[in-house]
Amino acid sequence: MPLPPKGSELRIKIGGAAGLGIKAAGQTLARSFVEAGLEVFDLSEYPSLIRGGHNTYTLRVSPRPISSHVETVDVLIALDRETVDAHLDEVIDGGAVIFDPDVTSTEGWLPSRRVRPVPVPLSKFAKEAGGPIMANTVALGATLALVHFPLMFLVDSLREQFAHKKPEIAEQNASAASVGYGYITKLAGDFWMGVEPIPGQPKRLLVDGNEAVGLGALAAGIGFYAAYPMTPASSILHFMAAHERDAGVVVKHTEDEIAAMNMVVGAAFTGTRAMCASAGGGFALMVEAFGMAGVSESAVVVGVLTRPGPATGLPTWTEQSDLRYVIHAAQGEFPRVVLAPGDRTDAFELTWKAFNLADQLQTPVIILGDSYLSDNRQSVPAFDLDAVTIDRGKLVAEGDVADHPEALGDGGSYLRYKVTEDGVSLRVLPGVKGAQQLGNSYEHDEYGYGQRGEAAEVRIAQNEKRMRKLDLARTLVPTPAAFGVTPAEADVAVLFFGTTKGPVLEAMRWLEPDGVKVAAMQVVTVWPFPADEVRAFIGAARRTIIIEGNITGQLRGLVREQCLVDVDDELHRYDGRPFSPEMIYAKLTEVAHDA
Amino acid sequence: MPKVADIERALEPTWCPGCGNHMMWKALKEVLEESGMDFEDYAMVWGIGCHGNGADFYRSQGFHGLHGRALPLATGIALTNPDLKVIVNMGDGDGYGIGGNHFIHSVRRNIDMVAIYHNNQIYGLTTGQASPTSDQFMQTPSTPGGVVEEPVNPVGVAIAQGATFVARGFAGDTEHLKSLYRQALDHHGFSLVDVYQPCVTWNKVNTFKWFRDRVYKLEELEDYDPTSRTMAFEKSMSTFHELTCAPDECKIPIGVFYREAESFTYQDGLPQLDRPMWKHAEAPRDISKILEAY
Repeated sequence: MPLPPKGSELRIKIGGAAGLGIKAAGQTLARSFVEAGLEVFDLSEYPSLIRGGHNTYTLRVSPRPISSHVETVDVLIALDRETVDAHLDEVIDGGAVIFDPDVTSTEGWLPSRRVRPVPVPLSKFAKEAGGPIMANTVALGATLALVHFPLMFLVDSLREQFAHKKPEIAEQNASAASVGYGYITKLAGDFWMGVEPIPGQPKRLLVDGNEAVGLGALAAGIGFYAAYPMTPASSILHFMAAHERDAGVVVKHTEDEIAAMNMVVGAAFTGTRAMCASAGGGFALMVEAFGMAGVSESAVVVGVLTRPGPATGLPTWTEQSDLRYVIHAAQGEFPRVVLAPGDRTDAFELTWKAFNLADQLQTPVIILGDSYLSDNRQSVPAFDLDAVTIDRGKLVAEGDVADHPEALGDGGSYLRYKVTEDGVSLRVLPGVKGAQQLGNSYEHDEYGYGQRGEAAEVRIAQNEKRMRKLDLARTLVPTPAAFGVTPAEADVAVLFFGTTKGPVLEAMRWLEPDGVKVAAMQVVTVWPFPADEVRAFIGAARRTIIIEGNITGQLRGLVREQCLVDVDDELHRYDGRPFSPEMIYAKLTEVAHDA
Repeated sequence: MPKVADIERALEPTWCPGCGNHMMWKALKEVLEESGMDFEDYAMVWGIGCHGNGADFYRSQGFHGLHGRALPLATGIALTNPDLKVIVNMGDGDGYGIGGNHFIHSVRRNIDMVAIYHNNQIYGLTTGQASPTSDQFMQTPSTPGGVVEEPVNPVGVAIAQGATFVARGFAGDTEHLKSLYRQALDHHGFSLVDVYQPCVTWNKVNTFKWFRDRVYKLEELEDYDPTSRTMAFEKSMSTFHELTCAPDECKIPIGVFYREAESFTYQDGLPQLDRPMWKHAEAPRDISKILEAY
């Protein structure tokens, strides 16, 4: 039995066949808890198909801040028998299983001494309310009655969810929820798990990682977004397309990822803040043009939202196995920045910052996420919009190039790739008087012409100029984030990157009452690698561990390579599932005892 | 306004003496001068191949992109700055082979831009391998037994795919080529100009003389109607020539195959593209209204 989190909270899992609207129903429920002042974190697990197959949506609700899902379930809503078979073990002792006796047989799992069966004629009620598709809505109502939570928040959320459809759809759903609620209210009242509304909470957002990335890009003034659909990045495309008119963004669903990345480089040439995103597989197709962005010093932002590979891999699951890949992608050598958000707030902030870094450095910047970030929603404090700034670096967008003598060569020609001390040249946009220039995928001279790029001294000068930008990057990029006690005080010091943040922070909260002192460092900018900070962190700690979602230990390899030190221990996961706080809690407890 | 001498760089082109690229370079510079466009009014994009070395021989606002990827690169420019006329130069291997996917989709997208294909039916820069437009049975270092495939028919594909301006030129007739360039620049929509540009070094079959013996001008036909897609498609099918066929049996039409007077371009469908898109990044965008939904 996995460790139940300490403290009062509620964990609901909905399971059933794909196509039953499980995720949509779950998100509506999530919204209603957020409106009631509670914190939520959800987890969607689904196979790569549209109909059939087994889907689940898990919602964790708590009165205090939470940062990940957990393995345990209080109320299991089983829309089919497979859900019972696959997830009954996750239900805690005394937990409930809501099921439709007309759909799910009780053979083999009932009677149960461990869980409480809650049979509800979901399909019958749904049909009466207006259609069998609303069985999940009936179940949501029943669940709320079971945990004695007011129905009104769910009804409001349903009305909001169906606001753009015919009014009767919203009312049918509201009535389906009420029927389920009423049925359970009448039956029994002794089941109590969980949570109550908290009035007067400040406004929080319920966003998934892709929405946070999209919102960050909009705030940063994005003008062009191109992508080819690929799980888990596709919903960024949907988000951007939904706002193309109201926000003023040209959004292009391209013929392939090759086109997307090339278009983004073209858009950056006109000075537009431009971005594309895909999973690792789509990024593989972008890689040649990603290198072109490097040599042509194009300010572009690329989202790489990874899933388990190689090749098609596990399309709808999560992994952190593309760290080395994005750091090294493309032939040749050029500076790049790779930022790895750990949660939705990070995703928003790092995305708008990525656009500034791309402009300041005139080089590509990657946002490295994964399915755990992209797919799952979390309640977060309202984004700090006042903090958003725009820094376009050395950019001239209008006027006459003659007014910028520092960027001109012999005869008054504009030098797009003028060799400078910090490696960044004045970027004068096409359209500015006298700004003839040649962006180039070839090595080139200061003007941009390829022919002279073959001269050894020109190659050396341009190569060194570009790489100097990496030194400048080190002064601009976000530094590692520290959590918990200092490494010197810690029983165990944890190093991680990306979405491992959530379960690590959660496990740290559980370890506190156990008296285990934990220091944690999130490598936020994974390239250029913050070697000094990481070396100092490891050096100060008694016992160290790296936790990362891959099989080969890519972050650990980087630490060895960049810091010339190593950690004592490691924890990996590579089965497509995200780390759970239970897993990390158990491992850190063990490591702390050994220390 | 820039003259030919301003548009070209004081640099001797590195193309082989007699290469068709010289004539295409001359024709385009002259048309650019005539057009009255200033340097700031247009952007030029090149793919990779012998044609692409031309990037170094122009003064322009330009981008020398990747092999096969000139069209999406140019599309990114065209879709973010409505003030720029975009002119794309590509080769046959570049544009119809490795970039074939972008070719089809750019045609159906009807992006307002000019796409010039330097079609020499051979890979020049990589020393003479067969290209997607090489004639069937042509022997090259990569096809010693002769090319097995049918050549790509770019004019036919474009017409079938809904192109709004399709023309074919011949580098050996620069005055005629200039008239095609002029019309392509004037066309509102995706303007495809496929130019036979004999390679004097690697293609010993489809030479200038070979073409001179075979080309004729569509506009000289009495009953040819370039606004008829059916007629254009029919004409495009007459273009496949065999290596051995006699000049009088293998006539190759050049000129404007098809044009649509009124065409709805991709840009026409983008009301948000009412200014250069960089202007959206002058200050942080206010997303507070959008956030209300979250």
